[in-house]
Amino acid sequence: MDETLTSAAATPRAELPHAPTLTLGDRLTELRYRWWPDHVLGEILAKRWMETAIPVVVLIAVALVLSSAIPNFLSAASLADTGRQAGEIGFIVLGMALVMIVGGIDLSVGSTFALTNFCALYFMHVLKWPVAGAVVATLGFGALLGAVNGVLIGYFRLRAFLTTLITLIIYRALYDLLTADYATLIAAGFPDSTVWDFVGNGAWLGVPTVVYAYALVAIFGHVFLTRLRPGWHVIAIGGSRRSAYNTGIPVRRTVALCYVAGGVLTSVGGIFFASRLATAGGDIGVGLEITVLTACVLGGISLGGGKGSATKALVGTLIVLLIVNGLTTMSLHGGYNRMVLATILLLAAVIDIRWLKNKDRIVNKVYVSPTYHGMPPAPSTAPDSGTPWALNDKLKNVRVIGLGRIEGPEDVILDRDDNLYAGSRHGDIVRFFPPDYERMEIFAHIGGTPLGMAFDKHDNLYVCIGGMGLYRVTPERQVEKVTDETNRSYASVNDDSRLRLADDLDISDDGRIFFSEATVRYEMHEWATDGLEARGNGRIICYDTRTGKTHTVLRDLKFPNGVCIASDGQSFLFAETWGCTVKRHWFDGPKKGTTELVLDNLPGFPDNINNSSDGNYWMSLVGMRCPALDLAWKMPGFRRRMAKRVPRDEWLFPNINTGCVLKFNERGEVLETLWDLGGENHPMITSMREHRGHLYLGGIMNNRVGQYRIPDADPGFVQYERRWKKAA
Amino acid sequence: MTKHVIRRAIGTVALTAAALAAGLGASLSAFAEGKGIDEPFREGYRKALAGKTVAYVPVALGFDLAQGWLEGLKKELEPLGVKIVVRDPNWNTNAGAQAVTTLINEKPDVMVLHNPDVQTYAKLIQKAEAEGIDVVQINMRSAYPSVVYVGADWIEIGEKATNAVADACKGKSNKIAIVQGALSAAASAYTLKGVENVLAKHPELKVVSSQAADWDAAKAKGITQTVLKQHPDLCGIVGFWDGMDSGTAAAIKEAGLTGKVFLATSGGGEQKGACDQVKNGAFDLDISYDVPTQASNMAAQIKWLLQNKGKHKDAKGSIYTTLIPITKANASVEGTCWKLGKT
Repeated sequence: MDETLTSAAATPRAELPHAPTLTLGDRLTELRYRWWPDHVLGEILAKRWMETAIPVVVLIAVALVLSSAIPNFLSAASLADTGRQAGEIGFIVLGMALVMIVGGIDLSVGSTFALTNFCALYFMHVLKWPVAGAVVATLGFGALLGAVNGVLIGYFRLRAFLTTLITLIIYRALYDLLTADYATLIAAGFPDSTVWDFVGNGAWLGVPTVVYAYALVAIFGHVFLTRLRPGWHVIAIGGSRRSAYNTGIPVRRTVALCYVAGGVLTSVGGIFFASRLATAGGDIGVGLEITVLTACVLGGISLGGGKGSATKALVGTLIVLLIVNGLTTMSLHGGYNRMVLATILLLAAVIDIRWLKNKDRIVNKVYVSPTYHGMPPAPSTAPDSGTPWALNDKLKNVRVIGLGRIEGPEDVILDRDDNLYAGSRHGDIVRFFPPDYERMEIFAHIGGTPLGMAFDKHDNLYVCIGGMGLYRVTPERQVEKVTDETNRSYASVNDDSRLRLADDLDISDDGRIFFSEATVRYEMHEWATDGLEARGNGRIICYDTRTGKTHTVLRDLKFPNGVCIASDGQSFLFAETWGCTVKRHWFDGPKKGTTELVLDNLPGFPDNINNSSDGNYWMSLVGMRCPALDLAWKMPGFRRRMAKRVPRDEWLFPNINTGCVLKFNERGEVLETLWDLGGENHPMITSMREHRGHLYLGGIMNNRVGQYRIPDADPGFVQYERRWKKAA
Repeated sequence: MTKHVIRRAIGTVALTAAALAAGLGASLSAFAEGKGIDEPFREGYRKALAGKTVAYVPVALGFDLAQGWLEGLKKELEPLGVKIVVRDPNWNTNAGAQAVTTLINEKPDVMVLHNPDVQTYAKLIQKAEAEGIDVVQINMRSAYPSVVYVGADWIEIGEKATNAVADACKGKSNKIAIVQGALSAAASAYTLKGVENVLAKHPELKVVSSQAADWDAAKAKGITQTVLKQHPDLCGIVGFWDGMDSGTAAAIKEAGLTGKVFLATSGGGEQKGACDQVKNGAFDLDISYDVPTQASNMAAQIKWLLQNKGKHKDAKGSIYTTLIPITKANASVEGTCWKLGKT
């Protein structure tokens, strides 16, 4: 049991090989699963930017196909022209995207475009206003046109489809009337303004002006939707109008403003178009709404609302433009253009709906990536085996505290005044008062799932909260967040800078808090799937109270759980639940940076570790190993097929129905074990704390705290009294 | 002595025969050499035209004018090795502008442009000429004049049509209607000026409707139906294109007023679209600008431009087509109209 294999000093990955009991087949499997990163695929698919990735791939494919079919398609001059057109339509697509994200649709964009184009031409060619005045007037006109839609749809709650269809007709009729009177006047009057010319036809460094303007607006649009509160409101309303209303978002005003913004953006496109072509022909903007709609749907903006981004609008615009221009340049008959676009719109809509419906299911199936985890056969716990593991019934007659009044006390702790504290699944820290611990009160409410606890020298109670991070409660019952993030490692596709499952902690003499994070790939409620994976997704993190900084100390651990500062004050012991090991890591002193194996091949899954009065350590085994799971851990292919084909609640799970408490020393010797045969009083135990001759037991699935009288224990032992007196 | 004489006679005969033969032979070869003059100019012509590119962008490809022009250009230019590149915007102004912009990047030698209106391509034509591309404008011109325009004189057409309507309206209600094309297209705006010129001289004529049908027959029909309902005593309509005025004629026919309402229009003079329509009474006057003539005019200009690339500096010119007014009198005469596909 006393293998002192050490890892390389500098790397924070604690990789210690087990005793070589593997067959050749097992060894090959282990190598394959160690080196091939299966888990990366699932993590990439789960990323938020994956939704934009598909349209980007389509865009690249279209560009490649067209550039091979048409010479000079991607030349600088051609790109500049495409950019000019893309900019104009791009503004309209941005407006339509905004309206779609808020849950509506705007079919009148074509007519609005025509009207604002006419407006700009009228001001510039007929009234001969200065450029600034004409631009502002046109933007205002566009806002007005959008406001009509906005008021009808936002405030009067009319249906977007029908309303904008009607405004499409009205605006087009208005346009026909106006052009009948003024078209020839516009055609005759050329404005004499270089600024106006530059707007539509100018370029700076080879890039057209409209592209710069579009880039500015698109970047602002991206920031608006992802980082600013009004943008979040827009997405919320699109996701669920009723829920958004219930949370107090001003739904009607926001929706109306979105249509106004759409009108303004369309008028920007109209201004650039007016400057470039100066035409008020009868067919301007006819059918434009189909093109814009296609661009939006192709880019991935959902027709149902609530999903979308400026990037998606841009990608969709580029795809549609490249296709339309490519088809025109290939001398295709004009009618084919519309047919191709309509077919693409149909395909894109079908794929969009299919992907959205099935995305989560597909990602879930691909995400679970089991790997090889081989261990020697578990030591026997038979009552007549003669080992310290032999089953006994010592825990049968423990005294029960708070029966039925506390739910899920994962860890229990006592302070220097003999008060008993335990976490509950409601997110409370519950306090029981001495001497009989009958009276209880809620000491503090934090939320999440309170797990491991420890006191520091100032009697602040530090708690690891699963799902939230590391918190502390001051003696005045003030709840403070200590840390909920650490440094992001570059090797991880998942964002591992935030804490998902802070489990147990201990505090070093100089104020450094070492705590375990059980897994970076799964959330608090999915901890059992991590067991199925057995991949070593956990880490030990250090928060330094002196500097306030957090950093990761050890990585790639198999569900690290209990942490306890060792007797020399320069190292800590930590348990790996799925690894069934206890290791010791030095953070100070001559052995700094090294990790040693203390206990190996445990017959169960170790949980919390705490000090005992005689200089040894208490540890709980939250569950016992069984042959089925041990075998399954050597067969990752089997587990992966199971995860893909079988419903989640029928998967193989690690057994946590029965466990024990054991005492061990730093040399790796198991001194004694305590069991509850028949599981009547304390079948599953996650934590134990020795205090004044008693051992207090807690379990995350229990509704009680146990008090076990330890024969021949030091009756005056108070853990934190001894600890901080020694350190002080 | 006799031997000597005979020998001398034979020698003389032989010599004469030889001389004759030589002389004959010499004279024969003299027929075949040195009398013709080589023409030195055809090599340059062929070299100038072979391998050049002509780009053609009509308003749309799917109607008789555009197809007739394309056929004429192909007939004249393709045998000489000129490559003709076609783009079809299908009545979409924006698509046309985009096609022209892309073509400018491809740098053809000549561009033949059919302008949808007087403004859209103006800047593009300037840009093309700056890049050294010669721009031939066909039938509908832009506000910006390029090196050559081949096409109808629309003001003349407007005046001729309105004069005919004025004559037909003598002694009737004097109410006329105007069915325009696309408002800012050259064929429409300039024709309207011609109409207004004549109206100024005929103050008794009243225009009860002047609307744009955007070259669309269905729209033209709709407009005319409304006008005829409002003014059933309408005496004449000036339509701006026979392709769209088939709709105008249909509306007149449905109202039962064929022959009572004088419809004057203009077009390319294609058999089915012009002569047949005049024969069956749909149109009373169709002023033809004869597409094959226009095509051959264009081809001639292009041939000259290709031979003088870069040498004609600021030269500009217009080739206005001679108009052929088609009425019942000459609609049945062979040769008044041309047939699509058989030029």
